[in-house]
Amino acid sequence: MSRMTVNDRPVEFLMDDDTPLLWALRDAANLTGTKYGCGTGDCGSCMVHIDGEPLRSCLVTIGEAEGRFVTTIEGLSGDRSHPVQQAMVAEQAIQCGFCTPGIVMAASALINRNPSASEADIKAAVPNLCRCGVYPRLVRAIERAGRVARRQERISAAPAPGISSKDAAREVPALASPNTGPEENED
Amino acid sequence: MDLREELKNLGERVNLPAVSRRQLLVGAAATGGLLVAWTLWPRNYRSPMLAEEGEAEFGGWLTIGRDGVVTVAIPQLEMGQGITTLLAQVAAVELGADWRQVGAEPVPPSGHFPNLPLAAHWAPMWANFPSLADEPDDWLVERFAASHSFNATAGGTGLAAYEGPLRIAAASARDMMVRAAAERWEVSAEECEVSEGFVRHSAHEALRFGELVDEARELDPPDLAPLRPQAAFEEPVFGEADAQTSFPRIDLPSKVDGSHLFAGDIRLPGMVFASIRHGPVGLPELFRFDESAVAGMRGIVGVIKSKRWLAAVAQSWWIADQALSRMRAHFTGPGALEQAVLDTELERASEQREDNFERIAEFGDPDTALAQPSFVRRYDIAPAVHVPLETASATARYADGRLELWMASQAPSAAQAAAAKAIGISVDDVVFYPVAAGGSFDARLEKQHAIEIAQIAAEIGRPVQLTWSRVQDLQATPPRAPATAEMAARIGGDGQPVAWRARVTTPPAMREMGHRLFDNLTPEAARAESRGKADPLAVAGGVPPYGIADVALDHVPASIRLPVTRMRGGAEAITGFFTECFMDELAFEAKRDPFLYRMALLGGAPRMAECLRRASRLGDWDGGRPGSGQGIAMVRMGDTPENAGHIACVAQAGLGSGGARVTKLTAAVDIGRIVNLDIARQQIEGGLIFGLSLALGSAVRFENGHPVPRNIGDLGLPRLADCPEIVVDFIPSEAEPFDAGELGVAVAAPAIANALFAATGLRMRRLPLLSEGL
Repeated sequence: MSRMTVNDRPVEFLMDDDTPLLWALRDAANLTGTKYGCGTGDCGSCMVHIDGEPLRSCLVTIGEAEGRFVTTIEGLSGDRSHPVQQAMVAEQAIQCGFCTPGIVMAASALINRNPSASEADIKAAVPNLCRCGVYPRLVRAIERAGRVARRQERISAAPAPGISSKDAAREVPALASPNTGPEENED
Repeated sequence: MDLREELKNLGERVNLPAVSRRQLLVGAAATGGLLVAWTLWPRNYRSPMLAEEGEAEFGGWLTIGRDGVVTVAIPQLEMGQGITTLLAQVAAVELGADWRQVGAEPVPPSGHFPNLPLAAHWAPMWANFPSLADEPDDWLVERFAASHSFNATAGGTGLAAYEGPLRIAAASARDMMVRAAAERWEVSAEECEVSEGFVRHSAHEALRFGELVDEARELDPPDLAPLRPQAAFEEPVFGEADAQTSFPRIDLPSKVDGSHLFAGDIRLPGMVFASIRHGPVGLPELFRFDESAVAGMRGIVGVIKSKRWLAAVAQSWWIADQALSRMRAHFTGPGALEQAVLDTELERASEQREDNFERIAEFGDPDTALAQPSFVRRYDIAPAVHVPLETASATARYADGRLELWMASQAPSAAQAAAAKAIGISVDDVVFYPVAAGGSFDARLEKQHAIEIAQIAAEIGRPVQLTWSRVQDLQATPPRAPATAEMAARIGGDGQPVAWRARVTTPPAMREMGHRLFDNLTPEAARAESRGKADPLAVAGGVPPYGIADVALDHVPASIRLPVTRMRGGAEAITGFFTECFMDELAFEAKRDPFLYRMALLGGAPRMAECLRRASRLGDWDGGRPGSGQGIAMVRMGDTPENAGHIACVAQAGLGSGGARVTKLTAAVDIGRIVNLDIARQQIEGGLIFGLSLALGSAVRFENGHPVPRNIGDLGLPRLADCPEIVVDFIPSEAEPFDAGELGVAVAAPAIANALFAATGLRMRRLPLLSEGL
C-alpha cells in the first residue's frame, strides 16, 4: 500500500508495492493521459514528474514513489496554460497525440528548470519516441516555450477546456448562447 | 463465367435489394455521381448523424445548432494525419462559417459514407475476378461500398472520397439558410452572401446561422447544390513556411493536456482490464498453460482461452499481464518461423523468377530489348514493423445481446462485422464508437483485437478493456512484406536507359490483407488463399515515371510463412527504393550527374521534372560527387500522371561513430491543390522521418517464431537527437489534390541510400541500410 501526492492530492494505492506507477495512475487513479507505449522505458510515453524530475512511470514502482510528489499531464497546468503546452499547439508539433503527454512532461521539466535551454539541451532532455514525426517542430516549439516562460512572448493557441457557451459567444460573433441570447446583459 | 453472370453473383454475395441498372447508372454518372447519390442514399442508408434538440441536420453530413455550432461528420479514422481538420475545413469554407464555430464528430460505419475511390482502387481485393480488377465499374463499386459500409481510411483517399459530398451538403445547408434569411427580409436570395457564420444583405443586419436553422430545415434542399466557385485551398508561398495557418488543427488542444481519449483511455463503471498472449509466428494455436499458477492471485477476475490466444482479466492491466507470464502459455502449429527458413523461402522464389513471374505492366518490347541487358542489379528489403506508439487496444461492454465497442480502426465496418461474428450476434447489435488512433501506419487495418475483445467481453460479462503488450503488438501485427528485386536495363548510345525491367519477388501482400479484411480469414488462411497469385497492388509504383521506350514490371509471388500487410508508403515505398537506387547506379555507370541524368528522361513528366529541379536548387545540389554525401531521389504516386503526387528529395548523409547519420533532407513537393498547407507540411515532414526509420531501422528477424528485437529501443527508430534538418517546399498547382501522407516515406530511403553511396563509395542495396555491416 503506497501513499504519495498525485497532482497535489494525497493518494493511497491499494495495490502491490511492485506495481509500476504507470498502471496505478491509469487503472486505479484513472489518470489516462499518461500512456503505455512499451513498458520498458524505451518510448517515454509514460513520463511524469516525480519531485519535479521527468521520469518514466513504467520503470518506477509505487513502492519507490512512496512519499513523493507526482505530477501527471492532467496536473501540469489544469488549463493548458503551461508554456510548453501552448507552444506545442501553436507550432502544431502534434499529430496523433499519443506521445504528446510524455513529450510535454519531458519538455516542461526542462523549461521549468531552465527556460533558456539551448537546442542541445532540448535534444538531450527529450528522448521520447514519436512515430508520426513531429521532431522537426519540436526544438522550435520548446525554444518558444522558453521565451514564453521568460516573458518575452505570449501565446494563446490552446484555449482552456470547459469554456461556457456564454463566454464562447462573447468571443466569437457567429456563436450565440442558446439560453440567454447574445444581446442579453450578464447579471 | 461471363461478366454479366459474375456481376449477378456479386450482387447476391453482397445481398442487396434488387435495383435496376438504370437507376444506379444515374447514381454513378461521372462527377455528378456523388450529387445524385447524396440525394439517393439517405433513403437507403441512414446517416448515423442525428440532430439533437436545437439542431438542424443537413444531408447526414453536418448539423447546425441554434447556438451556431456547426458539427461535421468525420467518416475517417483520425490517426494523426489531420483528416478531422481537413474535412471540417472543407465544410466550413463551403458553408462560409467562422472556423471557431466548427466542430467535428467521428461517425460509425454506415452506407451513407462510402469511400468510393478506395473501394475502386482495392477492387481486386474484394471482387475476385480480373475483368473488374482492371477497370472497376462505378456502379459495382458503389453497390459494394455502400452495402458494406466501406469507409476505410487508407491510401490517402480521405479527401478524394469525402470532399465532394461534404461540399454538397454544406452548400445545400448554406442555400437553405440564405433562402430562410431572404424570406424573412423579403429580398431575393441572390442578393445575400454568407461569410464568417452570418448570412448578410446590404440593407439588413446580418443573421447568425443559429438564428436561421429552424426555418432553414423546413425548406427543401436545392436540386443542385450551389457550390462556391473555388474549393478550399491554401496557396503555398515560397519562403513562408512558418506562416500561421488560418485553419489550425482542431484536435490539438485536447491532445496537449491528456484529455484526448484513445481506446485504452475509456473508463466504464465496473470495468476490468485484459492482457493477451498470441502464439509465435508458425504456432498459432493455444496448446497448454498452467492456470493453477494464478490461483488465488490478488486482483484476478478471470482467465479466458480461445483457440488462438490466452487472455487474463484483472483489476489492472499490470495484474493481468503478470498473470499471463505466470501461466506460461505454449502454442502449437506447423512450426515456429526461423529467419533461415524465411530467407530460404524468399530466395527460392527469387531463383524461380524466370518461370513464376507474372507481367503486371509492359510498354514497348522489353523482352527483346533486354534479351541481353547491359546492367543488372539486385536489391533486398527486410520485413519491417509499424510500431505505432499505441498498441492494439479496444474497450467493450456486452449486455443483453448487444456489444458496445470502442476502438480505433482503419476499416471499422470490417472490425464491427468480425466482432459480431465472433460472438454470434448480428452486426446491427454491435454499437461501434470510433476512437482516434495513437498512430497506425496501416497497422490498424487489422482487426484481430476486435474479435478478441468481443469474445472476452461476452465471456467475462463486465465492461472490459484489452491492451496488447508491446511485444504482442510487434508479434501479432503482420509486418511490411520482405521483397527482393532484380532490376535490369539496356543502355543506349548516350548512356541513358532505353529498356527497363523490374522483377519483384514479394508475397502478394495486398491480396493477403484483403482476405483478412474482406473475408475475415485467419492470417494462415489468408496466406493459403493468396499463395502463388500475382498481386499488382503489391508492386504498385514499379513502372518508373521516366521516358523509357521498353518497360516491364513483373511480380514473382513468393510464398513465405510470415503473414504480411500494408504499411504507410505503400508498395511505392518498396518499388521506389528499387527504382531510384537503380537509377543512381545507372547514372554512376554513365559517369553523369544523377540529377541531370534523371532530368534527361523527364521530358514527358513536367511536374516531376519541376519537383526534381526545385529540390536540387533548394538542397544545394552539388552534383552528388563522391565524398559529397549528397543523394537524390524522386517518386510519383497515383494512378494517372495528371492526378499524381510528386516528390523529389535531396539527402545529406554520412557515416559517424554510431553508423549512418542523416543530417538534412530537402524535399520539393507537388500535390496539386493544397487544402491545408500546414497539415500537408506535417505529413511530408512526418513521412520523411518515417522513411528515415525504414532506411536505417524498423526491421525484425525471427527466432523461434518471435520477432527480434523485442524492444522498440533496439529497432533503430529515430529520436529527436537523430532528426535531420528538414526543408519542405510546395509547388503551387491547380491539379486535383493528392494526399501528402505517403510521398515522404517512399522517397526518403532511396535518397538516403544514394547519399550514403556518395559519402562512402559503398552501394548499399539492402533495407535497412547497413544491416549487413559495411
